[in-house]
Amino acid sequence: MTKVKARFQMNHRFLVSVSGLIVLIAALSLTTMPAAGQATSKAYTAPRTPDGQPDLQGVWTNTTYTPLERPKNVTKELYTREEALEIIKNAADVENDQTEPGTILDVHYDFTQFGLDRSQGGMALNLRTSLIVDPADGKIPPLTAEGQKRATERAEARKRMGGATDAVQNQPLSVRCIIMDRAGPPMLAGAYNNNYQIVQVPGYVMILVEMIHDVRIIPLDGRPHLSENVRQWMGSYVGHWEGQTLVVETTNFNGKNPFQGSSENMRLTERFTRVSDDTIRYQFTMDDPSTWTKPWSAEVPMKKAIGPLFEHACHEGNYGLYNTLAGARAEDKKAAEGAAKATSK
Amino acid sequence: MRTKRTVVVAVVGVLLAAAPLGAHHAFSAEFDVKKPMKLQGTLTKWELINPHSWFHLDVKGPDGAVVPWLIEGGSPNQLIRLGLTKNSLAVGTELVIEGYLAKDGTNKGVGRNFTFTDGRRLFLGGSAPGSGESGIVVK
Amino acid sequence: MLLKTVMHREFYQMRDRFRRSTIIPVTVVAVLWLFVTAAAGQAPAYKAPRSADGKPNLNGIWQALNEAGWDIEGHAAAPGLVTALGAAAAVPPGLGIVEGGPIPYQPAAAAHKKENFEKRLTLDPEIKCYLPGVPRAMYMPYPFQIVQTQKFIMMAFTYARAVRTIYMDDHKEAPADSWMGWSNGHWEGETLVVDTTGFNDQTWFDRAGNFHSDALHVVERYTATSPDRLLYEATIEDPKVFTRPWKMSMPLYRRVEKGAQIMDFRCVEFVEDLIYGQLRKQPGK
Repeated sequence: MTKVKARFQMNHRFLVSVSGLIVLIAALSLTTMPAAGQATSKAYTAPRTPDGQPDLQGVWTNTTYTPLERPKNVTKELYTREEALEIIKNAADVENDQTEPGTILDVHYDFTQFGLDRSQGGMALNLRTSLIVDPADGKIPPLTAEGQKRATERAEARKRMGGATDAVQNQPLSVRCIIMDRAGPPMLAGAYNNNYQIVQVPGYVMILVEMIHDVRIIPLDGRPHLSENVRQWMGSYVGHWEGQTLVVETTNFNGKNPFQGSSENMRLTERFTRVSDDTIRYQFTMDDPSTWTKPWSAEVPMKKAIGPLFEHACHEGNYGLYNTLAGARAEDKKAAEGAAKATSK
Repeated sequence: MRTKRTVVVAVVGVLLAAAPLGAHHAFSAEFDVKKPMKLQGTLTKWELINPHSWFHLDVKGPDGAVVPWLIEGGSPNQLIRLGLTKNSLAVGTELVIEGYLAKDGTNKGVGRNFTFTDGRRLFLGGSAPGSGESGIVVK
Repeated sequence: MLLKTVMHREFYQMRDRFRRSTIIPVTVVAVLWLFVTAAAGQAPAYKAPRSADGKPNLNGIWQALNEAGWDIEGHAAAPGLVTALGAAAAVPPGLGIVEGGPIPYQPAAAAHKKENFEKRLTLDPEIKCYLPGVPRAMYMPYPFQIVQTQKFIMMAFTYARAVRTIYMDDHKEAPADSWMGWSNGHWEGETLVVDTTGFNDQTWFDRAGNFHSDALHVVERYTATSPDRLLYEATIEDPKVFTRPWKMSMPLYRRVEKGAQIMDFRCVEFVEDLIYGQLRKQPGK
């Protein structure tokens, strides 16, 4: 893969470009991640850390265009290589094209200008039609009656809170800079900055998530989870190695960031396996009998990415949230004044 | 190349399952789609911060008075990975910014497009007419 | 019986002669050696166990045990800011961790510090759950974890889930300013030396309003002094605020309890009403 060093000088054109498709192919690894059921002809053995753990260290990205669930009009599990490349090219073209002035989508800085669009960050070539690999239809299993009830109650509670800009607590957790889906767990990519740094020492695997500098230092000593009454945003996590795979089990979620409608009793199992020099296969299984009729699993390739991670001090720099709320109050005031004028006539 | 892709965006929206629609939502709540703006000013400071960077500009009004403006841009993190530093964009640079005004009536806006006065685009991607350039994937 | 006494007496005489001729000189030499080495400042140095790359192994969970978080200078007990919290929020007395006299502020900066102190309820960044910066993160009263490899030494803090990345090779200049700074580290024998620049001017040193500018430059030294203790030293330099560099030092203690870990102190949701409360939509408006 070629690496082009950009030089950001005031009087220079910043980057020399190449036609989009060629660049895209160069960006994607020619070694696609082995899909389920396809044995690799030569099993890859990861190098070892000094204390003998398979080495997962480095900077990785899980950027993807692949949806969590299989799209409605798709029935197969895998695209052909050509189909997948075509989809990615189209998606990248859409990101590159400009939005229409005067539309909601246009009220945003241009992702491509800041290198934040997915096509510029690099990603693994994933032939899957969905991230979900089990059940076989690529969709989240049906909700249980309890799960359905909880979903309804949550929607009603949300309605009672009022409009999205009525109070800071009505905004998404990501906008409030409390937690991002990049951190999860499970760890899923968002629009940009889907970067992770893994560092390993005897007894621990540390995963630093770029966004909001979230970090899990996963102990490998087989300790028990935290006691039941201690609930955390990212739960209580314990890991161990099974051959080449790091298995991380997480419980003790606090229920305030319910992944896909789950309850605080959800049990998450994540598996990290390095399948090539530049790819980690990340799999996760969601087990929550009070929400879904059966457990379900997904698989996301993580690709080696350029570093470094830069400090994502989200809450500290969150002027935008303040402006959003101030803007909503300004509009309320204008509307109230307009209404008062109308009634006084 | 400015092409209209509103229809395609709807279809691709299915693909972008983990899509930033939430982010768009927040921006259209912060800035007014009915108030597009274009201004030219001198950079007095560029805050390379998260979740979004902020460009401080001195803008000269028609009456000659200089008014400070604050324009929201993207996270600088990927640009930093590509070699950008706080010294890359000098204080005093003249910038032309198209975007939308803040809803709270203050001198703030979101920068849809940042260019130099000669029309060259800041940072990455080429939307300058006839440039024929597009963003590059650096890997 | 007389023979036994004589033999005992001779034995003790021999033993005493032995003691005088051998043990006493040896003892004297040993004592002299200790004086000499102490005078040279070289008590027998503790050497930490090695990590795989042959460097002192500083991995583990550590915590400062002092009152520097309240005020890094020596201070007496004082009332807290919130009357309703009484003694629970009072300022405890502390010896301070600053060496060699008061912090050498420039005159205008000294006035600024005084103003910070008077307005600390609204100005202290800790109250708003903002990242603590360096060195403040090192003596907040909660554990932090050092994750040390050859290329990176990471520090993960309890408060606000702050993180420091220390680059042990491939040293670069800070690309932009940040709350926790940009850290380049190297080893000098038993000591980890960390050189940090690229700070913004937003953090404080403590709850008493001691502050810095974006010209802050911190050089820290971490040295293991026993299996469960580190010596932490930091030299603070800021030509916009202080008349000269100055130093702080303190021990860091290992959290040895089974299952010790960094727990989740995500504090943003605890300060949202404080920061955004006045922007809440009022009923009927």
